Amino acid sequence: MNSKTRTELLYVVVVLVVLMAAAGLNIVYVLGHESNIATAKDPSTVPAGSTVINVTGYQWAWQFTYPNGTSSTDVLWVHVNTEYTFQVISKDVIHDLLIPALGLQVYAVPGHPNQVSFSVNKVGSYIFECVEYCGEDHYLMRGTMEVLS
Amino acid sequence: MSTESLLIISGVVLSAVAILVFLIYYLVATKGSVVAEVAEKSGYQDKDVFIRDQTWGKPRYLSWSVLSANDAKSIGLRYIFTSLLFLFLAGAIGVFMRISLVDPNPTIITPIVYNVLLTQHAVLMIYMFALGSAIGLAYYLLPTELRLKRDDLGRYSSFAYWVWLLGGVLFFISQSSMRWYMYPPLSLQMQTYGAGLYNSVGIFAVELIFIGVLMASIIVLRIILIDRSDDIPLSKMPIFAWAMVFTAIMLISSALPLMVGVAMLFYDVFNPIFFLKDPLTFAVIFWFWGHPVVYLAVLPAFGLMYDVITRFTKRPMYSYSSGVFSLGLLMILSELVWGHHLLNSGLGIDWVLFFTTSSFFVAIPSAITIFNMIATLWTAKKIRITTPMLFVLNAILDFTLGGVAGVMLANQSVNEIAHGTYFVTGHFHFIFVGVTLGVFMAIFYLLYPTFSHGRTYDTRLARWHFYFTAVGSFLMSVSWEVGGFIGMPRAVAGYFPQFQPYQDSAILGGVIIGIGQLIFLYNIAKSWSTVPTVDPSNILEYRTETNDPIESSDLGPIAAKEEGGSGV
Ligand code: HEM
Ligand SMILES: [Cu+2]
Ligand SMILES: [Cu+2]
Repeated sequence: MNSKTRTELLYVVVVLVVLMAAAGLNIVYVLGHESNIATAKDPSTVPAGSTVINVTGYQWAWQFTYPNGTSSTDVLWVHVNTEYTFQVISKDVIHDLLIPALGLQVYAVPGHPNQVSFSVNKVGSYIFECVEYCGEDHYLMRGTMEVLS
Repeated sequence: MSTESLLIISGVVLSAVAILVFLIYYLVATKGSVVAEVAEKSGYQDKDVFIRDQTWGKPRYLSWSVLSANDAKSIGLRYIFTSLLFLFLAGAIGVFMRISLVDPNPTIITPIVYNVLLTQHAVLMIYMFALGSAIGLAYYLLPTELRLKRDDLGRYSSFAYWVWLLGGVLFFISQSSMRWYMYPPLSLQMQTYGAGLYNSVGIFAVELIFIGVLMASIIVLRIILIDRSDDIPLSKMPIFAWAMVFTAIMLISSALPLMVGVAMLFYDVFNPIFFLKDPLTFAVIFWFWGHPVVYLAVLPAFGLMYDVITRFTKRPMYSYSSGVFSLGLLMILSELVWGHHLLNSGLGIDWVLFFTTSSFFVAIPSAITIFNMIATLWTAKKIRITTPMLFVLNAILDFTLGGVAGVMLANQSVNEIAHGTYFVTGHFHFIFVGVTLGVFMAIFYLLYPTFSHGRTYDTRLARWHFYFTAVGSFLMSVSWEVGGFIGMPRAVAGYFPQFQPYQDSAILGGVIIGIGQLIFLYNIAKSWSTVPTVDPSNILEYRTETNDPIESSDLGPIAAKEEGGSGV
């Protein structure tokens, strides 16, 4: 083996190691957080004790319906350190709900409900927004999450 | 808008297009028949053969005659300059969109206009500039690099060109606002608040573009694999030819499903039976094409980067075989990662695992490619820093930065934060501006004396063009990546006021890029108005090998001029 090939192989091995490590970390994350990743709605996989909030996206607002039947638009009320599960649907086109502070993201697709679970560990006010382009007022499809103690 | 006025408007628009197309056809055909007469006088039955014999082996420069001549080089010039026009159109749109974001609320333009511009910028840049310029350079460079045995598909190529151009123009005038994703149900909302009143034309136009690029890719593949000179074995082909082989195969294999999908979408406009109830199926078909197409924009550029580097270091590629191998591997792996665009759509945990993991693997051939380029530079005794070389060095840097962001996005945990934000925009603008645009400019400068039939441009202005492009692009993409990481959504006409600093510095970057391109235009315009004085040959066109040491005399008069401070 000449030195050229050796340098190249060495480089490939280093790249491989780095990438494998990254891929490994990713796999560990995914397998440890299945309920925090958006999946198709399935009542049987809602974590026990989790409060279900129904989320409806439509052009151009987000509506949240709580277990007690009340609902709010473009503002989300939750309690700190409580586990919630969003069940998300769209009335018209594809939307995508992102709460950046939580790293929580889920598509709202017509005819294809998704679910995702989360809890917040700090009281405060956080932004959320639609991140799937959905027509004229896409940019206004946003609001705040109010976390109460 | 009522159906009647819709019919009237679309009728008028379509007739206007028809008249325009006929006019162009008429001009081209008249010109063609003049040439045909000359050809007959010289004893030729076929005017295309006549043109070919007349132009063969001579530097082919830009003139109106390329519109009627069907030899490969004329087709190449058509594509190259048409894609340059679209680059400036879509670029102006891009800078304008940036400027419109100075205020967190839409003030300069309405959200509807913003959304139309957003759609046009992406579609025109990807299909008309990136794909168009790659096809154009293939048609222009390969016939001489591969010393073609025959050049007899000109009429098909010409047809492919016109269909592609018609598609691009129709798309522009359709004022579609469906975004380049074309996701139903939005793309089926024929309303100004949805996909635009004439989005049916927009969808149809995309199909036309596809027909054009598909035909051209098949022809390019035949040119390389079948028509090249017998004394150039595959193992000795210039690396750009290999890059085009992989590009063409990738395009052909991933475009077809989407072409069917787009046809179904077009049908859905009138009778929604396919995607209205099942929009994610379309999204999957779209990204099966959508991911490969982003690599279509860089593979040809990789090939050309090697060519520029080997020319200006006078070194062979560090490793030709691993260069070819990694480009091929890129082609294969790129077909397996499209799901990373839909990680939060409810694909299911297994698919998330599959697509995130495969996305890490695309980085391997990308890294080998970059290694190969850096190693070539490393082992060079002397690197001549010309403007094209600067663009290529910057492309290496930008690809690395963009690629690292891509690997970050391939982590599900990062993707949940950054998908749909400006972080993604930053990731691919590093690559599109740094590599796709930068390498195109590098090659344009190298070929300029030939294009212009013996003119030179001002090297000082070319340097400024480079600095503005590189600095502006860096500032813009970095601002986007930082803002995106803290949640600044992309594709929006307005934003939360807290994101203003990131928007403002991105606007500054965008404007700097824009000024850079104006310098380029001025430089070219100034040079074009002078009298040709230099040798119109270039150092790229007759290049047949990448793997042998290059003598300095091969670099020709243009390179020699660089050392004197003028010329390329
Ligand atoms: C180094 C290998 C690369 C990796 C691992 C990678 C990874 C990714 C990932 C995971 C996404 C999805 C982001 C999201 O929307 O959540 C993405 C988006 C994107 N990438 Fe890359 N990428 C790579 C190289 C490239 C290259 C070479 C290009 C060519 C310019 C490119 C262009 C794009 C584009 C255009 C998008 C966004 C498409 C859109 O949403 O409009 N990427 N990339
Ligand atoms: Cu939305
Ligand atoms: Cu991708």
